[in-house]
Amino acid sequence: MMRVLSGRAGAFGRICGCLAACLFALASPAGAQDESPGSVREVIAKATTTLDTDQQREMVEGLASADPDEVTIWLKKWKQGEIYLYQDAEGNDMAVTLSGDPDPEARFALASVATGEPVTGADGQVARATTDDLYLADTDSKLRRVMKDVTDRMELLSPDPKERVKAVKATGNQQDITKLPLLEQIKATEKNGKVKDALDEAIAMLKLRSEDPAVRQAAVLELGEMGSIASQGAIKTVRREAEEAGNAALVSACDRAQLDIDGHISRVNTVGTVFRGLSLGSILLVVAIGLAITFGLMGVINMAHGELIAVGAYTTYLVQNLFGAGIHMSPFGMTVSIPGMNLTGNSWGLYFLVAIPASFLTAAAVGILLERGIIRFLYKRPLESLLATWGVSMILQQLFRLIFGSNNVQVDSPAYLSGNWTVNDVIFGWNRVFVIAFAVLIIFLTWVVLNKTSLGLLIRAVMQNRAMAACMGVRTERVNMMTFGFGSGLAGLAGAFLSQIGNVGPNLGQNYIVDSFMTVVVGGVGNIIGTVISALGIGMADQSLQQILGNPVLGKILVLGAIILFLQWKPAGLFATRSRSLD
Amino acid sequence: MNTPLSGKMPTIALAAVALFLVVIMPALNAGGIVSDFTLNTWGKYLCYAMLGIAVDLLWGYTGLLCLAQALFFSLGGYMFGMHLMLMIGKLGQYKSDLPDFMVFLGLKELPGFWQPFYSFPFATLMVLAVPGLLAWVFGYLAFRSRIKGVYFSILTQALTYAAWLIFLSNDIITMGGNNGFTDFRTVLGADIRSPETRRILYIASAVALTLIFIGCKWLTTSRFGLIQRAIRDSENRVLFSGYSAANFKLFVFVISGMIAAVGGALYVPQVGIINPGEMATANSLEAVVWVAVGGRGTLIGPIIGAIGVNRLKSWATTEYPDYWLIILGATFVLVVLFMPKGIVGIPGQIRAIIERRKHRQTIREEDLAAANPSPEAE
Repeated sequence: MMRVLSGRAGAFGRICGCLAACLFALASPAGAQDESPGSVREVIAKATTTLDTDQQREMVEGLASADPDEVTIWLKKWKQGEIYLYQDAEGNDMAVTLSGDPDPEARFALASVATGEPVTGADGQVARATTDDLYLADTDSKLRRVMKDVTDRMELLSPDPKERVKAVKATGNQQDITKLPLLEQIKATEKNGKVKDALDEAIAMLKLRSEDPAVRQAAVLELGEMGSIASQGAIKTVRREAEEAGNAALVSACDRAQLDIDGHISRVNTVGTVFRGLSLGSILLVVAIGLAITFGLMGVINMAHGELIAVGAYTTYLVQNLFGAGIHMSPFGMTVSIPGMNLTGNSWGLYFLVAIPASFLTAAAVGILLERGIIRFLYKRPLESLLATWGVSMILQQLFRLIFGSNNVQVDSPAYLSGNWTVNDVIFGWNRVFVIAFAVLIIFLTWVVLNKTSLGLLIRAVMQNRAMAACMGVRTERVNMMTFGFGSGLAGLAGAFLSQIGNVGPNLGQNYIVDSFMTVVVGGVGNIIGTVISALGIGMADQSLQQILGNPVLGKILVLGAIILFLQWKPAGLFATRSRSLD
Repeated sequence: MNTPLSGKMPTIALAAVALFLVVIMPALNAGGIVSDFTLNTWGKYLCYAMLGIAVDLLWGYTGLLCLAQALFFSLGGYMFGMHLMLMIGKLGQYKSDLPDFMVFLGLKELPGFWQPFYSFPFATLMVLAVPGLLAWVFGYLAFRSRIKGVYFSILTQALTYAAWLIFLSNDIITMGGNNGFTDFRTVLGADIRSPETRRILYIASAVALTLIFIGCKWLTTSRFGLIQRAIRDSENRVLFSGYSAANFKLFVFVISGMIAAVGGALYVPQVGIINPGEMATANSLEAVVWVAVGGRGTLIGPIIGAIGVNRLKSWATTEYPDYWLIILGATFVLVVLFMPKGIVGIPGQIRAIIERRKHRQTIREEDLAAANPSPEAE
């Protein structure tokens, strides 16, 4: 049993409502607070009990200047039928909401909308009722439109510029010409550049629905110059209508605008591709740089390199948990529980700065263990070191599964890595920008270690001529260990870094192993600069081919094919180390 | 090292093993002593053994560690699988002439390159031709530019990876995508699931393995095999002696690819499925493990390794599913570190240890004798 309060609908009423909305919209920003008719709750309570639909709409419009959050909540409740009407002892209607859980007879306790207090019945107890006992405070389509106008307006005037841009864009896409005065009025006072740009675009889009063909034509050209991607559909509609109406000038204006927009899109795509290529190249570079040391300088095929990356990623995960809720795991049937620091927000975000050195050290330790335990016996048998390290990689993968579970673990990016900049429709993710900066930093550090430290000198000496270095008193065994540890540590850094842009799971390393070996081989073994150039080259080629072919798999396959052919031309890679020795 | 099992006795022993595999096992199965499941499992092992021999021919005899053998194995399987898919006919789920996955993809007619696979002889030819051709093209490019050692391994790994990506995606090539081919019904008109057909497939595998073994034995003990091993030990000296090492390597590469493909083609009807997972790089590496465990540079080694490791795998995956990878990985590390010649090489290793000890003993006795020239004389 429901009583629909606002029943009669008439053309007159609708026009009145619209007009009122517009008028009010124009008048309100000056501040209607002084003539405040009471709190939002009170207004809502009053409006729901009013029978006159015109009055009802007027009251809702009056809410436009009240606290936006509260208004949104209450209008939503009203719209979704959560407000009921209850007849109190005197027979007056009263707006109520249901509270708590129903009792066995499906009766709810009632709370007054106006005050939020529980409603007392005739017996002095809290009034209870089933939904069937109550009337639903209904809405009709006109009222709902007014409600939407109110909430839209509130979004348009939101204090947060991002929210404003979003609301402006939404308004533009709706192409409701009646909103035009409102937008123009907002534009007059708007200071934020981004919001202004969005307003220009939205206003032009609204004008596409103007009665006057000349206005439409101007708007179309304006959108074209802006390179407005969002307006393509609207411009197509305008063009179709212009064709039907035989307006040749407007049709050609639409074509020109479309051409401009297409040009803009291809520029955006090109810049985006270059950026993505650069960031993919940086990922490859960071992943391969450790390999360039262990494989390139030492000649060890370390198939467990990928798992060293995963070690770094899991270390990041553990550090993150230490900063957050703590570590709770049950590997091998044991329960391990380490309490965390329960930090939140920015201080939690600092975990990543700790995770970077931690992952370097952990992976370096695992690497040194691997070198001491297995690889040092196989320096003379490179193919067999490939096989033994592959065995190690299987063991490590399974250990990850047993310790951390076979599903991916959750690594959350700190706030300073998870936003993006949008410049002229090109999106620059902060994590991608970070990827590039991180790659530059790692390359620089590697260069410093190899060329400016005594360890680097020893590494280079041993790698160039082991016997001679040993004769000069260099402890080659120890240098081997340090070099391998350094390369493994770099793999750990790559892991810390991949945890911010992808999934962390037991198979993490496998996804990168082929790519990183390719990168080192193409770059020329034993040459860091070669690795840098080949990583960026492969990243760019991959992204461009993806863009051109529109098929990521095909692009990847072509890159692999191109690498095989490239090695025909330069079998020793980009920068070959010249040597007169055979074999 | 290459022929630890030369002489009459081993030949007789090998013949006995071959006889057992080819005749006695199936006979016991027909008599009900060996279960159908066991026979089928052994049929699989024998196919793996062919893959092992293919790996060994390259790695053990020529010094090329190729990580694309699983690709050739799967390609052989895929070629024969195409024929089997077409033989399903209207028995599939969609009751269409097209294989089920094509109906699922919304294809209306058979792609052109599938047409000839209705013919059994053509499919058999393709089993050898497609992997052989791929091996020839890739090998030509790789050996011409003198890619060797670990570079060759890495490049073959990339080749396998690229092929895996291609077969995974249905829009580049219509080969069943991620799910591959399965649900086979008949082979040459016989029900593929009946014990009789399975027995015949097993016998075919055993015969193929025997023939491949004999062929490889002949090849590796001939003059060709000598050059093969010379390339392994010092490629430059072979070059300077006037041999075209690249052509020899190319020939072995193509032969080895075809052997792997035969194994794959016999493997698919026995397990009833082929999908891109079969050609993952990890599978190539696993085949290398078999050879390493069994003993490389011998022909019996890969067979022992393939059967042994897979027995171990069947046992470990049921008994210790969580630790199976650790067991395999550890086996691998230990074999590489302590048994460079695999199981086949163990007797030799023991002999060497005993001899070394004997040698030390004699040296010590001589030293003692030298230190105290004649104690009696004092």
